[in-house]
Parts: sequence; C-alpha cells; structure tokens
Amino acid sequence: MPEPIADLSYRTYSGSHLAVGSRWLVIARMGWRTAFKKKSFWVFSGFAAWYYLVMIAFLYVIEQLDITRRAGPMAEQFFGNVPWKDHFLTGFTYGQIMWLSLSLLVGAGAIANDNGTNALLVYLSKPCRKVDYLLGKWMGGFVPLLVGMAIPTAFFYLYGLLNFREYGFVSNDPWLGMRLLAMVTVAAVFQTSVILGVSSLFNQGRMAGAAYAAAFFLLTFFSFLMFIAWSVSQGTRRHHANPQLGDIAERLYHLSFDGLQIGWAKVVLGTDGSAPFVGKAGGMPQMHAPPPAFVLVPMALLSLVGIALAWRRIRAVEVVK
Amino acid sequence: MPPVASIRDLTVQYGSFVALRDFSVDVPEGCVGLLGPNGAGKTTLIKTLLGFVDPSQGQGQVLGRQIGRHDLQIRQNIGYMPEQDCHIPGLTAVQYVAYAGELGGLPANQSIRRAHEVLEYCGLGEARYRPVETYSTGMKQRIKLAQALVHGPQLLLLDEPTNGLDPLGREEMLNLVRSVSHEKGVNVLVSSHLLPDIERTCDHVIVLLGGTLRAEGLIKDLKRVDGHPMDVELRAPANGFAETCADRGLSLIEGDGQRFRFEGLEDPENTSRMLFEAASQSGAQIRRLSLAVRSLEEAFMEAVDA
Repeated sequence: MPEPIADLSYRTYSGSHLAVGSRWLVIARMGWRTAFKKKSFWVFSGFAAWYYLVMIAFLYVIEQLDITRRAGPMAEQFFGNVPWKDHFLTGFTYGQIMWLSLSLLVGAGAIANDNGTNALLVYLSKPCRKVDYLLGKWMGGFVPLLVGMAIPTAFFYLYGLLNFREYGFVSNDPWLGMRLLAMVTVAAVFQTSVILGVSSLFNQGRMAGAAYAAAFFLLTFFSFLMFIAWSVSQGTRRHHANPQLGDIAERLYHLSFDGLQIGWAKVVLGTDGSAPFVGKAGGMPQMHAPPPAFVLVPMALLSLVGIALAWRRIRAVEVVK
Repeated sequence: MPPVASIRDLTVQYGSFVALRDFSVDVPEGCVGLLGPNGAGKTTLIKTLLGFVDPSQGQGQVLGRQIGRHDLQIRQNIGYMPEQDCHIPGLTAVQYVAYAGELGGLPANQSIRRAHEVLEYCGLGEARYRPVETYSTGMKQRIKLAQALVHGPQLLLLDEPTNGLDPLGREEMLNLVRSVSHEKGVNVLVSSHLLPDIERTCDHVIVLLGGTLRAEGLIKDLKRVDGHPMDVELRAPANGFAETCADRGLSLIEGDGQRFRFEGLEDPENTSRMLFEAASQSGAQIRRLSLAVRSLEEAFMEAVDA
C-alpha cells in the first residue's frame, strides 16, 4: 500500500515553543509582509522620488554640457555649490503627499481592521500581551514607512555620493547621511504613532484612513493660509513688510502634520531651504527653520497621544454585528 | 485526576453589574459543558479563565497555574474559539491558521505544517487557500476551531460552537468537538445554551444561572431520578398488567396502557424480576425495561428552578 504523501490527521503538538517575548516580532513580520507585498507601496515610494529624479536629470544635463563644452572651472564652481541639503529638504517637502499615502496604506487598517473582525480576540487569547500586540503593530507600520521614505532619499544621496564626491558632496557636510536618517526616522515614528492611534478608534480601515486624511488636509490648508499670510508679510513694491505677522505666520505654518515634519527636516538639516534650480542666488525668501522644541514637542506629544489611544482601545472585546 | 481548572469564590463585576458571584467550581478532565441561559455568566467565566477580565475577588487555577499571575503560560496551553466571527483580515485560511500558530508560539515551519493538518482535520482542506472573508458561516466556525487547535492546546474553550449553523453544519461541528475531546485527548469546555449540543458532546456539565453555580456533575448522574423507578414498554397494550404489578407491591407513577413508569424497590434487580413475573402472569410481552431517567432539559429546569 502506498504511503500517504503527508500526515494530515490532527496530532497533539509536543515540540518546542518560541519565547513569549518574541510575539511582537511575529505580528511585526506580518505587517512587513503585508506592506511590502502591495504594489501600491512601491508605487507611492517611487512617486515620492519625483523631485530627486528631476534633479538627477537636471544635474545630468549640466554634467553632459560640462563634458562637451569642457567648461572646466565653471562647472567645478557650479557643482561645488549645489545646495544638497536644500534639495533633500525640497524632496522631502514635495514627498509629503506620498508619505501620507504610504502611512494610510500601512497604518490605517492596522488596528481598525482587527477591531472590525474581532481579531483582537485571536491575538489576545494566544500568549500575546497587549504590549506585544501594540509593539508588533507599531513596528509593522514603522519599518515599511521608514523604508518607503528612506528609499528616495537614499537613492538621491547615493547618486550624489557616487558622482559629486570630488565636488565636496561629502566634505562639505560629512554628517549629511546621518542627518537624513534622523529626518526620515523621526518623521516615520511620528506618522506611525499618530495613524495607529487614529486606526484604533475605528472598526474599518477606510474610515480610519478617511479621518486621518481629513485631519491631514485640514491642517495642511491651515498651513497654506499661514504661508499666504507669511508671503504677504514679506511686503511688495506697494506694501511694506510686516515682520511681526511674518514671525507669527512662520511659527503657525509648522503646526500641521506636514508642517511639523518639514520644520523638523529644516532643523535637522540645518537649512531654511532655497528655491529649486535657482538656489539661494535666486533671492527668493524662505521660511526660517523653527526652534527645535517648537516641532519636536508637538511631534512627541501627538505620537504619545496616538500610542495612548491605541493602548486604551486594545481590548479583548467582541463586536457583535 | 486533578481538575483542569479550579475556581474558588470568584466574583466578577462589570461596573455595578455582577456577572459571577462567589462562584466556585472544579472543571474535570474530558469534555465539560457550560450550560446556562443567555447572560448566565458562561462567557465571563471563559474570559476569566483566559485572564481577559480581572475578578474583584476570588482566585482560580487553570492547568495548575494561577489565573492573573501566569496568564501567558495558561494561554500557551489553551485554545479559545470565541462566539462571534473572528479572523485576521486579508489572509487565506492557511495563512491565518499558520499565523495563529506562530502567535501561539510555534516555530514558523511547524506552524505552517500544523495549519495544513488542522485545516484538513476541520474539513477545510479543499478551501485552505481561499480568503477567510469569502467563507460561509459554517466554514468560519470551523476555522475558528482550527485557529484554536493549531498550537496544540491542552484545554479548548469553545463558546457557542454551533452558533448560526444549519442542522448539517451543527451536526458536523458537534462531531468535530466530540472527536477532539474523545479521540484526540484534548480537554474541552463547551459553553452553550443548547441542551442537545451539550448532551451530544459532553460527559460532565456545569449549570450556571445569574452568575451562580446551580448544578454540576456527570450528565448521567444529573439525569438519574431518585428512588430507582423503572420504565417498562410493552409490545402491545395489555389489560391487567398494571393491576398485576400493583398486586405485587409496585406502585404505578404514570402509564398509558403500553408504556409505564413504576416506583422502584430498593433493589432494582428485584423490581425487574417482579415486573417480568407480572408480565408473565398477565400475558404481556415486555419490549424494553430500563431504569427511569429524565431528560437533560428536565434536570436543567430543576436546577434553574431551584
């Protein structure tokens, strides 16, 4: 009689068990698998790099012109004065809408979908604590978000490193790589914590996503109004500048989800930014970097509120439909 | 044999509502039914065993470990099948059950292997690669059982396992529960308000009402009637059988000409002998003779009324 291809009868398990403290890793791994498997994750991350791609094309053209014309010292002067920090700041700023999309993708349904399907009963009836669940979900969102944010930045950094080293890419700011890492890490921590908190309040991922996106856009609109106020405060040929209004608008501009992150990027990169292509020579005024505490304290508070909300909502309660 | 779970003076409150009041019980090995109407405290008792709720007083042990102190070790050895639908969204059945296995502490390679085994055992082998969201109610009940079983628990807590199932699905689920407990050696605590389900699957029953223990014991003991009365069924109605029995000192409790229940003597064997003699004398043919038992429903109602 042929042997069965597999033993498919139920047997008592007598093998070893993993340490209880490693359950968060199981949950986090599931989050990573789910996020990295989504094509839209890579699409959003790729779109977030559009500014860097344009800059790469621009720099490539200049480089080619330099080679064909043998521009010599003129090209050296141009490439030696590329405001790399400002380009990273601009790329990060222009990528905000894609970071939002990424955070919605990986975080909006993280707890909300579990609430809707009573999955918390499955998690918490296993040797898995509330803290394991929350840490697992947090890491499951944070790592993909960090990867999604870091890829475009790392891509442009590597481009600069490989092509413009001799023009001072590294020597002008040896800590640029670490600054960029801090920029995306803190932003990813902030976004993950806030969206997990929002997610925990709902029973459907799409509702949580809609609520988070609504809050994001409302606050962004507020920042936009502050930007207009700041622009007006800079004065025109007919109107005098109003520095007091400018200062207030500049501070308030940073009190939105993307404003906080842009403010943080300015702080950590140590630049106010400059207009793309023309740089500081263009003479266009830029908002100043806010004091570090002005962005870090609200970011920390919002992150803690998000985590506290999620902590409070994680309960082994059945949702009766 | 030591009890699987032991509860002493347990009181659980939700605000001012007392769900369990000074509740003490020993859950023996085997398949045990937790019987009671809705709101009796069955689910609260299960959640207390799992460490989901903090009792306001009392204590308990599950598989020799203290509730509230060793909850993780307890849950390592318990499988829980909740009453409501529950699954992890976006996964196929095999991914879901394997994930549940990993959460239960199995290494990844073991959990995927056991997921296949358990799904096959629960009758979902053909549908294992389908997303759980597309499952019917019966299949969702089965997968809840599969995720509870995958990590090889010593005790299985089943909360209303036949909830929402059609007669065929119910039959299959009850067969599964019986198979797990009687063939695979897993201790099972089945919570239900459906007496036939408990009677089909369990040997032992715990009856709750209003958060208090009303009765507990082996089902066959609970169904036994005091005084050893005997039920007699004749092949055909026979005149004079009841009178002949009465002449021999057997008092009739109830009868319809073909089926009778007599008050028994102290020794059931004597009662049987006298019944056969009376049948012989009156020309009746006995088709069935047995010690009288009541239905589980009668036993339950008595416990509840008390």
